[in-house]
Amino acid sequence: MNNDQNHPHKHDHPHDHTPIVNEEKPGYYEILEISIRELMIEKGLIKPDDVRKQIELLDSRSPVLGQKLVVRAWLDPEFRKRLLTNGVAAAEEMGITIYDDTAFTVLEDTIDTHHMIVCTLCSCYPRAVLGLPPDWYKSKQYRSRAVKEPRAVLAEFGTIVSDDIQIVINDSTANQRYMVLPLRPAGTENFTEEQLEALVTRDTMIGVTIPHLN
Amino acid sequence: MSTEKMVKHLPNDLGGTGCSDDKIKIYERDLFPWEKRCHALLDVLDYYKIVNTEEKRRGTENIGAEMATQLSYYEKWIVSASNILLQKGILSPDEIALKTKEVSERFDVPLN
Repeated sequence: MNNDQNHPHKHDHPHDHTPIVNEEKPGYYEILEISIRELMIEKGLIKPDDVRKQIELLDSRSPVLGQKLVVRAWLDPEFRKRLLTNGVAAAEEMGITIYDDTAFTVLEDTIDTHHMIVCTLCSCYPRAVLGLPPDWYKSKQYRSRAVKEPRAVLAEFGTIVSDDIQIVINDSTANQRYMVLPLRPAGTENFTEEQLEALVTRDTMIGVTIPHLN
Repeated sequence: MSTEKMVKHLPNDLGGTGCSDDKIKIYERDLFPWEKRCHALLDVLDYYKIVNTEEKRRGTENIGAEMATQLSYYEKWIVSASNILLQKGILSPDEIALKTKEVSERFDVPLN
């Protein structure tokens, strides 16, 4: 990095702008990734721009989509029923395709039941509505402990669930993905959609935290 | 670990095996560009039904417990994908060897 970037200076002199070069050399696994992609393209098994298009699709998915589903469900009881009955159809109704062709089931939190999702085998996650999962979701620690001691796991996220509330953990698979529909917090009766959306974070839809007013 | 436990629990089958001392490392980071490309590549292979999600997961299991602890998440994915493509006869060992040599020379990275 050029040190000049760290302190302001007047731009009254010509700059010697060196072109940006990627000095990072790829490691073995990156070389393997490039090699397999190129071989598959050369064999005509995938198209040259398939990977770039898929990256665009991945980049278009984030918890913003899950937020919209949750807030609509909070505000519209009929949509809520449809979302809980058939997550794929309800998401598509909102213009969100479940692009990975998986079953998408929404888990409804109630006053006496809290849900949390995990993939004990690997990293299955509702990517179509939340984007790619955080590293901790894929970690051995989360995967190995979530189903055994959920209250201890939740406490590490700062979430304390009282003992009279049942905790249900849903284990995802390659074909079955889940998302939590959290409880709408009390005191939000007059909130706008935008104000409600701000309460619904990624982690509330994984179920490791609970929406709350600041 | 007893052999019986090893037979009952494949390496990826972690549900319920952890303990509270093993704290969750909670942090956020962006993927490296090659990790995102790797993710997208595997999605594309799944889309064309060349390597599906479950095959990819099983492939990471076949890497073996010792290797699995040393490789990162996407390193396991790309090793799994290449192994499955070899097993299915879609790619040959020679093709992968020649191509990785070509790519490493392109980036001026020596391959050992």
